Amino acid sequence: MYVLLFSFIAITNPKPMVQIELELPDIQAKPYHRPYVAIWLETPERKGVHTIALWTGKPDWLKDLRQWWRKLGRSMKVDGISGATRKPGSHRIVWDGLDAEGRPIQPGIYLLNFEASREEGGREYLRQEITIGAKAAQKLTLTGTRELRAITITIQGE
Amino acid sequence: MYRITFILALCFGVTTFAHDRFILPSHTILSGDPTETVPSVTLTASISNDIFHPDKPLGDDGTGELNPFLKQLFDNMQYLVVHPDGRVETGMKWNAFGRMSIADLTLKTEGTYRIIQRQGETFLTMFTNAEGHKDRRFGASPNLPEGATHIKKVTFEMNVVCFISLNSPNKKALMPIGKGLELGGPSHPNDLFVGENNSFQLTLDGKTLSEPASVVLIPGGTRHRNDRNRLELQTQPDGRFNVTLKKSGFYLLHAEVSREPEKPSKFSSQSYSLFATLEVFPE
Repeated sequence: MYVLLFSFIAITNPKPMVQIELELPDIQAKPYHRPYVAIWLETPERKGVHTIALWTGKPDWLKDLRQWWRKLGRSMKVDGISGATRKPGSHRIVWDGLDAEGRPIQPGIYLLNFEASREEGGREYLRQEITIGAKAAQKLTLTGTRELRAITITIQGE
Repeated sequence: MYRITFILALCFGVTTFAHDRFILPSHTILSGDPTETVPSVTLTASISNDIFHPDKPLGDDGTGELNPFLKQLFDNMQYLVVHPDGRVETGMKWNAFGRMSIADLTLKTEGTYRIIQRQGETFLTMFTNAEGHKDRRFGASPNLPEGATHIKKVTFEMNVVCFISLNSPNKKALMPIGKGLELGGPSHPNDLFVGENNSFQLTLDGKTLSEPASVVLIPGGTRHRNDRNRLELQTQPDGRFNVTLKKSGFYLLHAEVSREPEKPSKFSSQSYSLFATLEVFPE
């Protein structure tokens, strides 16, 4: 069921629907632990829809991604769904618009959520309204101040 | 502003003498696989008017060294764990230390646990002694000193609780066990976030309340600030209340309701208290 969770589309779909460029800051902390990061979709009513990316370590600390945890994490099976944490720098995430069971997400307005939490560090939570299935392409930018930096969201038009 | 109904502090018999009580868990929300890591929570409990700063122990399994008053109190309390399947386990092991009591909880299954320290119906006589000072005696028929005046006999009972969830919270442990004042309702005590409206409902002996109860919420850390920041509200007659909290942290919720005895009695009122620890997270 969760096999498709991290379907970074390069593999499964030649026409990616949503591309996210996300920068993790290079924080001069000793010790530095790489942050846990979750990217997920919610309805405008803030109900969890789909986890797009999850970079974590031990399941015991998943609760520290506390918004993602309450919206989607705690009701999922936690083994084997998570990708490893990433180092500082720019990362590219590509999402094909499919949910965990491989079904297309219904067109409409959604909230795209970004959460990062670092052991012995801080936490950051950002969200951006997006439209799935819009005629026009969308390019949106967000900027974090603590545990995230520049985020660019590119959504293909229909 | 808080989206709640503000009322003046209600004067009830018991709150004029009883100290606050609390159970403070090391964690209220946990993640992990219980078959691999066996998550645990350590709890401290205290009788203290400084919220979440312990003063006196609360709870013991009979092995602690205690003064006779606390020993008698703790020997007569019930130490309960309500498990995620709704099963009520008695005899949770609490150990009293000088200023607090400590217990461990192992979470072997996913879902929500409710920890309860319960003091059942307790008889109390309050009076003014011959020198004009206020005094009190416990027991159904205590010997009062000569010259006692303004004698008032009451009963009270107290539930002290906290809530802990491993992975997805559920609500079986929130169903009333039918003893004293209990916290239920649409909101889950392990899913509280700043700025969100939460709706709770109190029950008394497992039944819907028929009169308003007073509810006071105090954020933890009273020792380190100059104001208690009491948030006072009153329930609807059926025990419902709504609250939106604007700061994260631990809160102590103290609910209380007093009734006149249904049958003629030498006790003029029966009071029921609930102390529930709630953890509120920032967005």
